[in-house]
Order: sequence, then C-alpha cells, then structure tokens
Amino acid sequence: MTIFILTWRIRPFYIEPTNIVNVNHVIQRVSDHASAMNKRIHYYSRLTTPADKALIAPDHVVPAPEECYVYSPLGSAYKLQSYTEGYGKNTSLVTIFMIWNTMMGTSILSIPWGIKQAGFTTGMCVIILMGLLTLYCCYRVVKSRTMISSLDTTTWEYPDVCRHYFGSFGQWSSLLFSLVSLIGAMIVYWVLMSNFLFNTGKFIFNFIHHINDTDTILSTNNSNPVICPSAGSGGHPDNSSMIFYANDTGAQQFEKWWDKSRTVPFYLVGLLLPLLNFKSPSFFSKFNILEIRLQFPQLTGVLTLAFFIHNCIITLLKNNKKQENNVRDLCIAYMLVTLTYLYIGVLVFASFPSPPLSKDCIEQNFLDNFPSSDILSFIARIFLLFQMMTVYPLLGYLARVQLLGHIFGDIYPSIFHVLILNLIIVGAGVIMACFYPNIGGIIRYSGAACGLAFVFIYPSLIYIISLHQEERLTWPKLIFHVFIIVLGVANLIVQFFM
Amino acid sequence: MPNTAMKKKVLLMGKSGSGKTSMRSIIFANYIARDTRRLGATIDVEHSHVRFLGNLVLNLWDCGGQDTFMENYFTSQRDNIFRNVEVLIYVFDVESREPEKDVHYYQPCLEAILQNSPDAKIFCLVHKMDLVQEDQRDLIFKEREEDLRRLSRPLECACFRTSIWDETLYKAWSSIVYQLIPNVQQLEMNLRNFAQIIEADEVLLFERATFLVISHYQCKEQRDVHRFEKISNIIKQFKLSCSKLAASFQSMEVRNSNFAAFIDIFTSNTYVMVVMSDPSIPSAATLINIRNARKHFEKLERVDGPKHSLLMR
Repeated sequence: MTIFILTWRIRPFYIEPTNIVNVNHVIQRVSDHASAMNKRIHYYSRLTTPADKALIAPDHVVPAPEECYVYSPLGSAYKLQSYTEGYGKNTSLVTIFMIWNTMMGTSILSIPWGIKQAGFTTGMCVIILMGLLTLYCCYRVVKSRTMISSLDTTTWEYPDVCRHYFGSFGQWSSLLFSLVSLIGAMIVYWVLMSNFLFNTGKFIFNFIHHINDTDTILSTNNSNPVICPSAGSGGHPDNSSMIFYANDTGAQQFEKWWDKSRTVPFYLVGLLLPLLNFKSPSFFSKFNILEIRLQFPQLTGVLTLAFFIHNCIITLLKNNKKQENNVRDLCIAYMLVTLTYLYIGVLVFASFPSPPLSKDCIEQNFLDNFPSSDILSFIARIFLLFQMMTVYPLLGYLARVQLLGHIFGDIYPSIFHVLILNLIIVGAGVIMACFYPNIGGIIRYSGAACGLAFVFIYPSLIYIISLHQEERLTWPKLIFHVFIIVLGVANLIVQFFM
Repeated sequence: MPNTAMKKKVLLMGKSGSGKTSMRSIIFANYIARDTRRLGATIDVEHSHVRFLGNLVLNLWDCGGQDTFMENYFTSQRDNIFRNVEVLIYVFDVESREPEKDVHYYQPCLEAILQNSPDAKIFCLVHKMDLVQEDQRDLIFKEREEDLRRLSRPLECACFRTSIWDETLYKAWSSIVYQLIPNVQQLEMNLRNFAQIIEADEVLLFERATFLVISHYQCKEQRDVHRFEKISNIIKQFKLSCSKLAASFQSMEVRNSNFAAFIDIFTSNTYVMVVMSDPSIPSAATLINIRNARKHFEKLERVDGPKHSLLMR
C-alpha cells in the first residue's frame, strides 16, 4: 500500500545553520531555545496534513522575526511586514505600489533642474534610457539569487549575494556603498529640512506681521508669483537672505535669528539629535505607515534618487503573492516611476514662465522657486518637512545598525558610540546646509557613488561570474555587461568634472 | 506470541479539543489519523494501537461533549474500558472555559479506575500552557495541581504542565515513561558503568517507539539542555522518511573530527545513543561494546518475568 504523504514545508522563521565548531571556540550563532523550536516545527510539519491547523506554530511561540526595513535613499523607509508562512500575500497592485512608493523620494525636487542642465530633449531621453538601464540591472539583482543553486537562498538579501561571490570584500564594500547612500541621503534631508523649516518660519512670521517681501526679488508679476532667488548672486545658489528692512528692528532681529544657512540648521540639531539616539525606530515607523497611506492625495509625490531600489528589491518582491509575476510587476513599477518623473519634470520645466525669467532660474529644489508667501508651496513644505522628520531617524537607525553592527557586532554598543556616530552624521548635514546646500550636487555625487556599486558593477559582475561558473558565458553577453560597468564608472567620474 | 489478555492499556483521556490527538501524534510520530470506532450511539472513540514499552497499548478517549456520555457510556461500558489499565493520562486544557465541567468528567474516571484498576498510575497534564502569560504560569499551574491532588484522593496523581510548543511536553512524557519502567534505577546504574567502561562522553537510553529519553549518563556538563528533545524529533522525522520507503530505521553513525555518535537498537524496548569524543577509537570497537552490553541489559529487562518478555518483531 503506498502511503501518499503531503509534506508541507513550513518555514515560519529563519534559523542560521547551527555550527559544529571547534570545541574550544564556541560561537553561539543561534540560541538553544530558537534552535530547539526550529527542530520542533520542522518535525511537526511532517506530521500534519495541510488541512490540520493544530500543529501550525501560533504567532506567540515563534520568535519575533528580525525587523525588516526597506528603504531607498531619499525615498521612503519603512518596516516591512514579513509573513510567517514565508509567502507574501500582496497582490500585484500592492507590490507595484510599494515599489513605486519606496522609490519616489526627494530627488523629484531636482528633476526639473536636471532637465534644465541637460537640455529639454536630451533630458527626456536620458530619463528614459536611465530608467531602462537601471531596470535591467534591477532585474539582474532579482535573478541573482536564483543562480545560486547550491545553497538555500530564500532569506538572502542582495548584500548576502555579494558576500557569496566576493567574500568579505563584497560584504564590506556593499556595506560601504550602502552607508554612502544612507549618509548622502541624510545630508540631503538635513539641507532640505533646514530649507523647509526656514521657509515655513518665514511664512508664519510674514503672515503674522503682514510683510510682503517679494518686491525685492526678481519675480513674475501675477497673483501666483514665481521667483528667481539666485538672480542677484551670479548663479551660485546660497542660502543667504538678501532683504533689508531699514526701519523695522523686529524683522531685523528675526532675520538675524532665522537664517537659512546660519541658524536654522542648528535649530534642527536640538530637534532631531535626541531622536537619533533612540534604540528602536518603531516609534517613527508608525508615522511612516501613516505617511504611506496619506501619500496619494499629497501635493507632491516623494521621489527618489534616480531609480534606486536595488538594495531592497528582493525583499519587496518576496511579498508578492504570485512570484511568477515578479518581473512583470517590476517593469510596470519602473515604467510608472519613469512616467512620473517625466510628467513632473516636463510640467515644471515647460510651465516655468520663461519670458520674464530665464530657465536658468529653476532651482535645484524647485520649491525654492516659489516665494515663502505662497500658500500651496507652504503646505507642500510643511508636509515634506513632517515626512522627512519621521524618515530621518529611521535612516539614522539603519545607518547605525549597519555600521555598528558590522564593526562592533552589536547594534547598540553604548550610548557614547551611538552619540558620536550621530554627531558625525548630523555635523556633516549641518556643514553642508551652511556651506554647500546644493542638493542637486549632493544627490548626484552620492547617487553616482552608491549607484556605481549596487546598480552597475555588482549586478553585472555577479551575472558574468555566475555565467562563467556555469560555462554559459558568451562574448556578446560579456561585452554588454562590461559596457554597463564602464558606464557606471564613467557616470561617477564625470560628476567631478561637471 | 504476545498474550492479548495481558495487554495493558494506557488511557489518554480528556475533553474534546484539549490536545490529546496532537500530543499522541507528536510523541508517537503518527500522522493524525482518525481511527474511530463507534462504541455506542453517541460516542466516537479513538482507538490507537500504538505499542510502547513492551506490551503497553495506547488508547485515546474523548471525554465529554455530551452529558449523555456519562449515562450511556460510563455505566454500561465502563468495566470494559477501565479494566487492565496500567496508566491513566488525563489532559486538562488550561484555557478551558468550564473548569468545573472538566472536573465533572474527571471524577467518574477516577471512580472507575479505583474500582477496576486500583494499581493504575495516574498522571494529570495541564496542557496548552503556552497560552498563559509567562509570569503567571507557575502560579496557575500550582493552583491546578493542588486542586487535582485534592480531587484525586485516595488515588495519587502526578501533575505536569505541558505545551507542544516547548520542551515541557517531552519532559512530561519522559517522566511518565520513566515511572513505568520497572527497574529503572538499576538500569541507570548499569548504564553509568557501561559508559565509564567504554569511555563515552554521553550515553542515552531511548524508548523505542517514542524516542523518549528513559535515562542518560553524561561525564560533563553539556551546553544544550534541549538536546534530548531535538534528537528525538530528528530521529522521528527520519523514521517517518524511512517509512515512506517501507524501510525501518535500525542504526546510525555520525562522525566528524570532534566526535562520533552511535544510535542503535539496544533491547526490545530501547534504543541507545553513545557519544564518544575521542575520534581515534574505531567504530568497530564501540559497536562491539554496544553489542556485548546488549545481552546484559536484556537480561535486566527480562528479570521481572513474562510481563516484559521479548516481543516478536
């Protein structure tokens, strides 16, 4: 009599393989309790038929899953719900939206400026081509796990794949580039937050004291003025305010204490530095979950640095219900992002009132082209300020976890380590806000650097190596992927010369 | 030929949904099969002929559900069920919403046992303890234990708190099995001698059907306290795989540069696991030692006569 058994492999949580190590050097990689629970669950899963619920581990006995955060530098960062059955429950629509939402971030503020710098037609073509290129590399990232047949890679994220191919060099370099992206993002956030806080404060002050200060700045002459803030300073954007009030000492005092580059960045320190020192960011991730649901009706989408999502795309796609649609959903998401960029970029660029003001006036942060008395941009700034203040500690937490976790092995070694790290990061942000507040510049440098690794080099190199190991490497494929790597390097080098 | 008249029963009783079937499935590595037999118009009884410890047979009974259960069943069928009972294991669901009803069904069982098998050993398992908050578990268990002890008088009952999601289930059943083995202290002493003679790091004695640890000897403290249950689960999983191929598991050797472990059939009721940390000792030597010890231990088991005679395999 044949016994037909349905084995149902339940992996409610992941345990690293227990090491049988040298007896003198016992590394506790897994707690005994968790290891025993793992064996128990594996055994029980052999006993049941799928219909039987009695031997499925209830949530309260399974050790809490490792906190899983997805982030895109300059995009959204949030805690991802991991499903105990190991398979996602998200429909394609939700997955596409999540990818779109994570990618969209503050770099949309610089897209019109980028189009201006490149020229209109070139700009549009570059956006489309860049989208296609990064999409292909993202596809490579997603497929990279499946090419490793010898090991169980179901819980691997992209840095694990890098470590598999390049050893500890791969691990450290992916850590380095990931930190570059995070810290770059945090610096940009600081500059933008100072900007938004400054403008918000100015709006409120002017509103209370009924001051209208648009007369002294080059602007258009209609009811919704657009200004050219850098017209008087010869094209070098800085954050100094150029308004003088001869007879109004109150306003003068305000100007002295509320300056975009001299004082406001420091006020933010008092607000945000304590938040960075928290052990767990779950307080903030609650706000982000709220933010995601509010994103849709918001005035501006939150866009991101180029099309960067490669560091967490695997995690995002893991929660897709129909895994076979992953590639299709990824392409759709990228298409949506590209269209959004094009739309916003073209819209702002084309509608910028060119006759009175030259297109050169488009600021790196296009909200700067609206005076601080403009209601809509005031609301936009408030929303963005709030959103950034909630994402900033989360990014700080991720940077801290990655850096301290790898150097000290403990994500919270002591309050002093954490404080010093936070002071360095915040200090970098403050210095940039005071002396080099060109978010376009910061975005392109940090983006090109971290994009170099994660978008261009690693996916292509890993693909070449895995093909070579399987002896399926052909000349066209090799040339094409080496070309991608060369593009990435060129992209970084050229940033320093422009 | 096993003497069917001498078959002793292990009654696993408790309210419907208290976790008996899961428990039986886990301990005996059975699929949750429903071998139901209708003993009366209103009763479905699960009769599982799982043999363990020689000639003990496990019977699963659902108690309660209907009040007519008591009338029909306990009156007319009760001698049949409660005769020749070696062990009564009664399972209480700690989260039960009607604790008085549980007691209401427990007491007639005790009375029937008192009348028909007064020598039976009684074990009470307070089950599903994982649903209780950790800091309250000891307190709640102590309360229940006192109540149950009081109710069971003049019979003695041993109480355990269990949950299938931690090691308490395994430990409780190990203790139960330990108390059912007749000359277990002698067995332990001999095991210690055996281990010291062959220079083993650790020697475990498992019950054959369930791989519950009956006794063990270790020469030094081991780090992982969950290892008994883990080994038991691993081997039971392996046995399940073997049974898919209609093969039966007999012995296993695991060896690397740090240790060598041997799992082998020992006596008719037991398996032995020997762990040697000196890898220079050849396997053949240890296997010969185990084979020679086998004869000695079988004699120990046979000491009490036909009750523990060898079963035909």
